[in-house]
Amino acid sequence: MGMQEAWLLPAIPAVAFVFLLLFGAYLPRRGDWVAIAAIGASFVLFFFVLADLLDAVKDPEFVGGVKSWTWVEFDNFKIELGFFVDQITIVMLIVVSFVALMVQIYSVAYMKGDPRYGWYFTVMCLFTASMLTLVLADNLLLMYAAWEGVGFCSFLLIGFWWERRSAAEAAKKAFITTRIGDVGFLIGIILLWREANTFNIQEIIHFAENGGYSNTYLTIAVLFLFGGAIGKSGQFPLHVWLPDAMEGPTPVSALIHAATMVVAGVYMVARMLPVFEVADPIALDVVTILGLTTVMLSATMGLAATDIKRVIAYSTLNSLGLMFVALGSHSVTAAMLYLFVHGFFKAMLFLGSGAVIHATEKQDVNDLGGLARKMPVTSITFALGAAAMIGVIPLSGFWAKDEVLHAANNAQNVFCYLVLLASLVITGLYMTRLYVLTFLGEPKDRHVYDHAHEAEPLMSVPLVLLAIPTVIGGLVVFHGVGKALGFPGGFGEFVYLEEPEKFKFHVDIALESTVLAVGGAAIGYYAWANGAALATRVRQTFSPIAALLSHRYYIDDIYQWGINHIILGLGAVLAWFDRVIVNDTGVDGSAELGYLAGNELKYTETGKIPNYALAIAAGVLVIAVLFLVLEA
Amino acid sequence: MIPINHFLVLSTILFSIGMYGVLSRRNAVLVLMSVELMLQAVSINFITFAAYLDPQKATGIIFAVFVIVVAAAEVGLALAMILRFYRNKQTANVDEADMMKW
Repeated sequence: MGMQEAWLLPAIPAVAFVFLLLFGAYLPRRGDWVAIAAIGASFVLFFFVLADLLDAVKDPEFVGGVKSWTWVEFDNFKIELGFFVDQITIVMLIVVSFVALMVQIYSVAYMKGDPRYGWYFTVMCLFTASMLTLVLADNLLLMYAAWEGVGFCSFLLIGFWWERRSAAEAAKKAFITTRIGDVGFLIGIILLWREANTFNIQEIIHFAENGGYSNTYLTIAVLFLFGGAIGKSGQFPLHVWLPDAMEGPTPVSALIHAATMVVAGVYMVARMLPVFEVADPIALDVVTILGLTTVMLSATMGLAATDIKRVIAYSTLNSLGLMFVALGSHSVTAAMLYLFVHGFFKAMLFLGSGAVIHATEKQDVNDLGGLARKMPVTSITFALGAAAMIGVIPLSGFWAKDEVLHAANNAQNVFCYLVLLASLVITGLYMTRLYVLTFLGEPKDRHVYDHAHEAEPLMSVPLVLLAIPTVIGGLVVFHGVGKALGFPGGFGEFVYLEEPEKFKFHVDIALESTVLAVGGAAIGYYAWANGAALATRVRQTFSPIAALLSHRYYIDDIYQWGINHIILGLGAVLAWFDRVIVNDTGVDGSAELGYLAGNELKYTETGKIPNYALAIAAGVLVIAVLFLVLEA
Repeated sequence: MIPINHFLVLSTILFSIGMYGVLSRRNAVLVLMSVELMLQAVSINFITFAAYLDPQKATGIIFAVFVIVVAAAEVGLALAMILRFYRNKQTANVDEADMMKW
């Protein structure tokens, strides 16, 4: 067992999906154990793949393990079904398989009694299979197929409770918005393929590095690729779907809209980063600027949101923006490290909020409060997650965030760095606000408070298991820790773009970020503790800004206006064209023509045999004459 | 040997006479007889070409035999139809057979 068998990781959940689809309804417990067993098997297999990879990376020439089959073959067009394992893949695999397993176990309790309990686990299997395929794909076409697969599962799961209109709307919004990006991704793939004549990622990178593409062409192609990442990873201006995606069951939000699917865009850009590097610097500047915009927009919107899941969704956008800033700063290490730790603490935050929602059946922070006394495990793990998100030393988020800051400080101008620092304060503010309003203070709704209870073991155990990497996961940056685990060294010596880099502790950056983040958290605590007296006063003083934030900068409204007036207007014109020109004139018109012609010409049909015989004879004669003339 | 043209001219004349008969006669029995003439003209063509172009094979001759057999069967059928028609209309004039127009 090893890298050659990595294809089994997605294959097992895929088989489980088909099995559950066909027989799930007849199985005891609707087959949830099949789903968990399949994902557990993938998780166990991961360690064999990891062990094999760790052996292989001892060779400095190692670029990745490949196993591929030919899928479709024409004369000079070939599609491969290939699986590729390297260091970036491994980081994604551990996040996907571990979080998926935790979420599945958690879901057994969370989804209990749902009428579509079996269907939930079936789709979760398909999602896991698609996501693992996306991560392992060695060519862009297979990656694109899996990319659409996870998008489809996301659609199904956001709209899981489709009887609720808002859920159906949110599913549609997510699907259509990400699809806009996906079209860009597909165009990018086609552009890259057209010159290189291959879909294989390593071959494309090789082709680009040898100057196979012209500079402008490559820049346009990678910007289209990045369009796919914008859609999937919810970057400005396509970020609008992610907060609405919270209509789905909370474990879905944890797995798909925090830990795995939304980081697919980051993963794809990280995988293709050598190509981005060859293209004009503008390409990576666009990545940085959009990442930075998303960081600021989402952080400020998080301040005003009142739905507990929405706040965490904004923090996810915030984190994704940071990852893109890291990629824009040429640092695969920082982006993947952030992705790695983010997967754990964000999934934990979502599962914690799910425990709150499960216990109280409320998700607006204005109805919650004081839950720390009722739900100690949830409260502590949630606090750890929030602290990791804020970046409190020595939690995992701190190390990852400092790597991002370090990368940005090296590669970007001082403005970018300052914006990142400013975002840390806001992150501290809104995460503290969320924690204080949910878990501290006096309960705002006595009835809800009285009925709240600690999460059952099936839900709290995954929380605790996720808390472990949340607390210590960041330590993988250290050379000694990595060595002890069998890695070649710290995270930077394992996952890198060109040269392995040994971790150095940057005291100045760490000091700045810690002061700002903890300062933000302290202000947040001061502002929202004691019935949020200070925060209310500030909100009243700056009411236009508060309105702007709670209306999400009116971006959704602008899009809605555009859809209503421009797209539906254009649609009306096209519908008119279709109805009047295509249908009435084209289809009905030709039918009418046939009817009229028949009606007029029927009088020539006399029914007398000699007339017909004469017509036949005359026809033969005419053909014969024509034939003779043309022959001559 | 007699040149092939002689046979072809003969069959053309036969065919033309038959066609003239089909188009000009009004009596159904005469029309049927004219059709038989046209068929025999075709048979002559078959045999001629068979004899001149590929004497080893009997394809053309077999076709001629076929035509004769089919024509015999067809005459049986057609005469029966003409008989029914005469019973209904008290005439064998083909101009009267126009029941199937619009």
